[in-house]
Amino acid sequence: MLASSSTQFLQYPFQTTLYRQQPQTKPPSLRFRPHKTVAACTATGEQTTETQQLRFRAHRMASTVSLYEVLGIPMSASCHEIKAAYRRLARMCHPDVVAINRKETSADEFMKIHTAYSTLSDPDKRACYDREIYRYRPRPYAASSAAMATAMSGFSGYTSRNWETDQCW
Amino acid sequence: MSEPAYTVASDSETTGEEKTSSAFPEIAIGIDIGTAQCSVAVWNGSQVELLKNTRNQKMMRSYVNFKDDVPLGGVSNQLSHEHEMLSGAAIFNMKRLIGRADTDPVVHASKSLPFLVQTLDIGVRPFIGALVNNVWRSTTPEEVLAIYLLELRAMAEVALKRPIRNVVLTIPVSFNRFQVTRIERACAMAGLHVLRLMPEPTAVALLYAQQQQQTIHDNMGSGSEKIALIFNMGAGYCDVAVTATAGGVSQIKALAGSPIGGEDMLQNMMRHLLPDSEILFSNHGISEIKSMGLLRVATQDAIHKLTSQTSVQIDVDLGNGSKICKVVDQEEFQEVNKKVFEKCESLIIQCLRDAKGEPEDVTDIIAVGGCSYIPKIRNLLMSICKKQELYKGMNPLEAAVCGAALEGAVASGVNDPFGNLDLLTIQVTPLAIGIQAVGNNFVPIIPRNTTMPARKELVFTTVHDNQTGALIVVYEGEEKKVEGNHLLGYFKIIGIPPAPRGVPEINVCMDIDASNVLRVLAGVVLPGSQHHGIPVMEVRMPTVDDGHGWCAEALHRTYGSSLDLDTVQKKI
Repeated sequence: MLASSSTQFLQYPFQTTLYRQQPQTKPPSLRFRPHKTVAACTATGEQTTETQQLRFRAHRMASTVSLYEVLGIPMSASCHEIKAAYRRLARMCHPDVVAINRKETSADEFMKIHTAYSTLSDPDKRACYDREIYRYRPRPYAASSAAMATAMSGFSGYTSRNWETDQCW
Repeated sequence: MSEPAYTVASDSETTGEEKTSSAFPEIAIGIDIGTAQCSVAVWNGSQVELLKNTRNQKMMRSYVNFKDDVPLGGVSNQLSHEHEMLSGAAIFNMKRLIGRADTDPVVHASKSLPFLVQTLDIGVRPFIGALVNNVWRSTTPEEVLAIYLLELRAMAEVALKRPIRNVVLTIPVSFNRFQVTRIERACAMAGLHVLRLMPEPTAVALLYAQQQQQTIHDNMGSGSEKIALIFNMGAGYCDVAVTATAGGVSQIKALAGSPIGGEDMLQNMMRHLLPDSEILFSNHGISEIKSMGLLRVATQDAIHKLTSQTSVQIDVDLGNGSKICKVVDQEEFQEVNKKVFEKCESLIIQCLRDAKGEPEDVTDIIAVGGCSYIPKIRNLLMSICKKQELYKGMNPLEAAVCGAALEGAVASGVNDPFGNLDLLTIQVTPLAIGIQAVGNNFVPIIPRNTTMPARKELVFTTVHDNQTGALIVVYEGEEKKVEGNHLLGYFKIIGIPPAPRGVPEINVCMDIDASNVLRVLAGVVLPGSQHHGIPVMEVRMPTVDDGHGWCAEALHRTYGSSLDLDTVQKKI
């Protein structure tokens, strides 16, 4: 409420697409987010989360930040670690705890963290998201060192095993 | 956050204050405005302290007496007898009346109160009057609340020896955004700036988070997560919350609430004892007011006794020749209030379901509020959650105000060297917010229990060929049809390029920021083109003021379905 409505209005289209980094350097159109098919899933709550997933799928292809990176956790993180990371980040980024002049950006930051958390903390959605990652990024860490591979131990290869059975109770 | 007329002043002043006083923050006080009683608490530097009035009371009755030239509220006034509050000169239960239209069933239920609640059933604010020298003097719930808050403020200023401006208030979960603006208006009238409005059980959740933090000494969420079911029921409202707590972070998983409470049980019992009481009382004559007052006091007393006794003897002379002599036992009381308890049960079950939790996951059941003493309620909670006992670490009447005071300290930027204020509440929206679609259907854009701050959008399309304009009518609530929900505001978007129906795309985005301000944005999406032909509309809601009850009808009468929108069908 401190930011005047007019300045916010101008920032709006940019803010919404904040984490999509660069791909469209065109002037912002009247769409808040240019994923037509995404927003086309309507009505129910379930579909809203689906929307978010699709959106992430789309933006992840554009940028390199995965949901795991948003939370700063390895892909092998347990449910417990995901929750702990979410709480730790919330304690730093939630608009209630940041300085008054950072409220606006922190709201976006927190929403991003929360979306990552809500996807990864749900075993079904996490499994679905992980499958997407491998589909679009066939060898995500192929080039990285062996250390990375050990960090990801517990996850034996990129098989169809899913996180629900593997990681979350 | 407050009413536009006041926002300008309060916003600018607050900005100034918060900048200058960052080194020495003014600690916001916490206020729990209950339907029956109120309390004030503040963080005193090491813990939460409840403030007392000059008569050494921590809990003050919520009423304002208009008998004298200067209206006196329950903070400074001393009732000579309970009946004084029921003479018709005192207004109470303002929390049940504030922000409600005269078509609301809760307003209708208030018509048997000793003061005047007159309804015309056209969707406007009800007429409320206090009986002073045989005259019904008009007032409004906002005014009554403001007078009361002014007294609370004066009391806190005396106790803390400093001016008070910032407050954290607790509100029922079922309050809609329009009711919230009424509360803010009352605060503005009393010279108070609302720093935060917390749904009551979330304030309790914050207190619980602090208690867990103190007992376990774990840090940063590495400790085990505790799931608490919070049940808060007072005289006017019943609220339920499920919260996941660890490391001082209270993450609200789900909220549920309804305007049912002790007042309903009291009225059910009064009707049970005197079946024709409503007919008797419909004229609001002086002698009837007196009889009703006597019956009310006797019934209230009996209900209180039934929390510790299995049966109670009611003996009351109504003064008009009729006497009531009756023994009422627990079973009878539960039978009379069967619907109330059923509603409580459904709220608890709904809240657990929304939180995607099983009753077995609940670590602690916290029951607070005046009705938490009722044996039936306690048994209900324990049987649903399959637990043998309730959480014992809180005073049921003080938990909400203590939580509000903690939030007041946290939101004022106070640091505690012992980490007692390293707390955070992650709030959710208590009600869904959406717009009207063709066929008077309500399409939620931000569903209930969405974590705040939140931003969601949905694409709509036209329902007529060559439709160039559309009405965006915003509602809040849980019903499938808009009529059952609360109107927040409306605006029109124009300049939709002529096209067959279902082709144009209208994007509606809803944004709730960190201060819980709702903004609705809507604009036409022009495929392929990047020109800024039509500006986007951005409207801060709620925009409706009084008469909100018939705005929707008027819109419908004038425009019919000519400016309707529909959701875009899922394309596969």
